[in-house]
This record gives sequence, C-alpha cells and structure tokens, in this order.
Amino acid sequence: MSPKASTRVARGIITFLFIYLATPIVVTMIYSFSTSWVKTILPNGLTLKWYSQLVASPEFMAVLLRSFSLGLLTTLIAMACFLPVVFYANVYNPKVKSHLRFITVLPFTIPGIILVTGLIQLYAELPIPKIIILVLAISLLSLPLTYQALDNAFIGRDFRAMFEQALVLGDSPFKAFVKVIIPNIRAGVLVAMLLTFTSAFGEYVLTNLLLGGNFETLKIYMYRLMRSNGQASSVLTTIYFIFLAFISLILILIMQHYSAPHKSTKEGAKK
Amino acid sequence: MKTRLKVFFPLGLLVVLVLLLPITVMIIASFQSADGSFSLENYHQVVSTRYYTEAIRNSLAISLVASVISLIIAIIGAWALTRLAPKTKNILISLFNMSSSFAGVPLAFSLIILFGNAGIWQALMTALHLPRTFEIYSLSGTTLAYTFFEVPLGIMFLFPVFEELNPEWKEISSVLGAKPMFFFKKVIFPVVLPNIVEVFTLLFANAMGTYETTFALTGNSLVTIPTLIGTLIDGGLTANVPLACTFATLFALVMTAIVWLGNRVTRSKREVKA
Repeated sequence: MSPKASTRVARGIITFLFIYLATPIVVTMIYSFSTSWVKTILPNGLTLKWYSQLVASPEFMAVLLRSFSLGLLTTLIAMACFLPVVFYANVYNPKVKSHLRFITVLPFTIPGIILVTGLIQLYAELPIPKIIILVLAISLLSLPLTYQALDNAFIGRDFRAMFEQALVLGDSPFKAFVKVIIPNIRAGVLVAMLLTFTSAFGEYVLTNLLLGGNFETLKIYMYRLMRSNGQASSVLTTIYFIFLAFISLILILIMQHYSAPHKSTKEGAKK
Repeated sequence: MKTRLKVFFPLGLLVVLVLLLPITVMIIASFQSADGSFSLENYHQVVSTRYYTEAIRNSLAISLVASVISLIIAIIGAWALTRLAPKTKNILISLFNMSSSFAGVPLAFSLIILFGNAGIWQALMTALHLPRTFEIYSLSGTTLAYTFFEVPLGIMFLFPVFEELNPEWKEISSVLGAKPMFFFKKVIFPVVLPNIVEVFTLLFANAMGTYETTFALTGNSLVTIPTLIGTLIDGGLTANVPLACTFATLFALVMTAIVWLGNRVTRSKREVKA
C-alpha cells in the first residue's frame, strides 16, 4: 500500500467507526425531538414539548443539583488526595510511581459492583452517613483518571528547582506549592478536575446500590424515566450527552492551547 | 519523614477507609456461615447452584466474545488513527473518550430505541417483511452493547502503543531487503503483541465488571456475575450479602490475577528493552 492509499483506507475506517459509535446517540437525539416514534422507521413529527416539560419539572433541577454537588465534592477530595502525592512522586521520589500503578488498574480488578459489596458489608450497620462513604468511594474509583491527568502535567519541566528556590526565598512548603507549582501545572489540574467531575456526575452503580435509590442523581433519574416515560428519558439522555460534548470541547481546547507553546520550547531546545 | 507522612495521609486514609477495610471485611464475610462461624458453605453454593453457574457462564461468554471482537476492531481503529493528521487525532481521541463515558444507562436506552421491541430496527424488519432476527435483550444483544464502550476503550489503550512504533524501522527493513510480511511478523508483531495481550486482559476485566449497561438493558432477566451481585445486595427478601461477598471475592481474586498477568507480559518486555 502506498502511504496515500493507506491514509484513504484509514479515513474510511475511522468514518465507519464514527458512524457506528454515533448512531445510538443520534437516534436518541432525534427521539427526544419527535412527537412519537413507536414501531415506525421515522418519527411521526417533531416537537420541543418534551424539553419544556422536563426542564420545567422541579425534579429535574433537584436531580441536577444532587449530581453537581456529588461531582464537586468528589473532585475536591480526589485533588486533595492526589495532588500532593503526584507532586512528591514526580519531583522527589519517582520510585513511588511504580507503587501507585496499582491505582490505575483498580477499576478493572475492583469495579464499582465489587467495591459496593464490601462497602455494604462493612458500613451497612455502622452509624456513619452513607453519603459520606459514597463520596469517598466515588473519589477512590475516579483516582485513575485524576492520577493520569495530573501525572502528565509534571512531564518536561524542572519542578524541583522551582520549588526549592521558593523554599530558599522563605516560603513555607504549602505556600510554595500553591504559588509556584500550581500555576505551572494548572492545565493538567484543570483537565484532571474536569475528568473527575464528569465521572462523578454520571455515577450510577455505587449511588444506586449504596443509598438504595433514595438519593436520586442524574443516572438514577434517567433509569426511572426510561422505565416510565421514554420521551422524557431521551431528553435527559440528550442533555447529558450535550454536557459530555461540552466537557470534551473544553478538554480539546485546553490541550490545544497548552500543547502549542510546549512544542515550540522543545524545538527551541533542539536548535 | 514528617512531610512525607503529610503528603501521603489523605490518599492513605481514603484507600484504607473505602478500599482496604471493605475488601478485607468482604473476604472474611465470604467465609462465614449464617451463624458466623468459618465455613466454605458460600463457595459450595456458588459452584453447585445452577442459577449461579449460569451467571458465571453468561459473564464469561459475553465478556470473551465482546472483548475479542472489540480488540480486533480497536486494533484496526487505532492503526487507522495513527495515519491521520495530529489535530484530527486529538479531537477523535476526545470523542472516543466521550463515547466510552456514554456507557451504562444512556447506552442501554439508546439501544432499546434502536433495537427494542418498539424500536426502529424491528419497524424496518416488519416493513421489509423479514423475520425478527435480533433480540437486544439477549446474550448476543448484550454482547453488541458491550462493544460500544469496549471499542473506544481499546482504541484509547492501543493508540499510544501504535503511535510509538518508529516508521524508520520499515524503511530500514525494506532497505535490508525484508518483505512487508516478514517485517510485520518479525518486527511489528513481537513489539506490539505484549501490549495487545495486556489490553485484552483489561477489556475482558472491564466487560466482566460491567453492571450498569447489563442491568439497564435487561433488568434482571439476563443474569451475569455483576447483576447477580446487585440482586443479592439489593433484592429485599432474596438479599444475601455474604453470598454477594463470595462472588465479589472470587471476582476480585480472578481479575487481579488476570490483570496482573497481563501487566507482567508488558513489563518483562520493558525490562528486556532496558
């Protein structure tokens, strides 16, 4: 295969994959705008009434608020747990990293359904609010995302020198970290925060099984609607998808914005 | 030493509270009989009750088929991705990332609209006077559903590996007179194979642990290990948390072994390189 032909083949494959992965999403979007679409190939008509109905319902706002707070709390806890460790591992003791690797495979060896079994066995009878356990457990399961995004932020610069200069100039370690390190890794921190937030915002397994559906978050609401009112559920799914797309767009923009000057310094060093 | 302690304290506390303690308690509970004494009764039930062995068989069948198919598609997709312009690559990776976070309830719901009893596919089949050939709530339907998040996940794992392959190798080997097939067999394949094995173990483990999509798609009509655990925890009268702990312990042990093995394959290769 000549390079040109293989590029054409590659484009074809990617287009095909894209259509395959996007079809369910596109169909759900059309469904949310259709008056009714049962046992027909095309919807009967188009309407916006399902949107106004869902958005006007008081449940919807309450659900969003719950998921939003869950996302925010989880993000804060994940950052508090990992920022210092990733900084320390990258700057002072790279050996720690090999021990942290177990965290990156955690969602595969102990997925949510397994973790929740242990959590229920341990905490079901204890007088600790389940919501606290929930937030901590979601933070733990989002750690791989947080870890990888933060770890990437430390590539390519001498943070040790920066940090130690600030210490020499009389800052306390905490102050030096906030004033000197954070501004330099802010893109990575932002990416990590967005990814953590998104995963907590759409959490289902832990929330549903640990709190027994008493704390209705986005996905639990979505599941309930799916069983009772397909149109409303499709609206919620579409809104959730737009939210995910929006987050992805921000991530793409951050990466493009911050990777561009990075490359030029690399090339500058080569010269 | 003091600062080191401070640095690791929050993460350590989190890991102890919501990982080590619950998992330890879970393992202990799996060896307890109803009166609290040590017994292997739960394990005996897991292997001797037909309903439970069916859950294990279903899980293995769906996960094996879904991860093999997804792996093949992901290899082709990741290769194709390396051939595109850098900017397109970044955007596509974000899109794949997004579509894998679409898994679960939203995915199940979309597939029901597409392939469900009142869905578009059935309408199409009826219009064309064809028999109903595909049932989304079945084993094969669930397997199809899994590919929607396994494929993007596989691509995201494999893409960095393929991206690292040096295009100069191909030139060098063709200068030295190697045929493309020989180059593929002797150069690319040995380099990539360990990574493919590792990605396969991750995809397999991911499929084995999938609860949300299966549950939202089939309710409890299709029993897999995760949905069975869900029922044992959540099922009101039929709830049996110690038995759920037994399944969970078996799951965690087997998956840790598999992922560890998969990890070892790539690590031993890295050590040879160094």
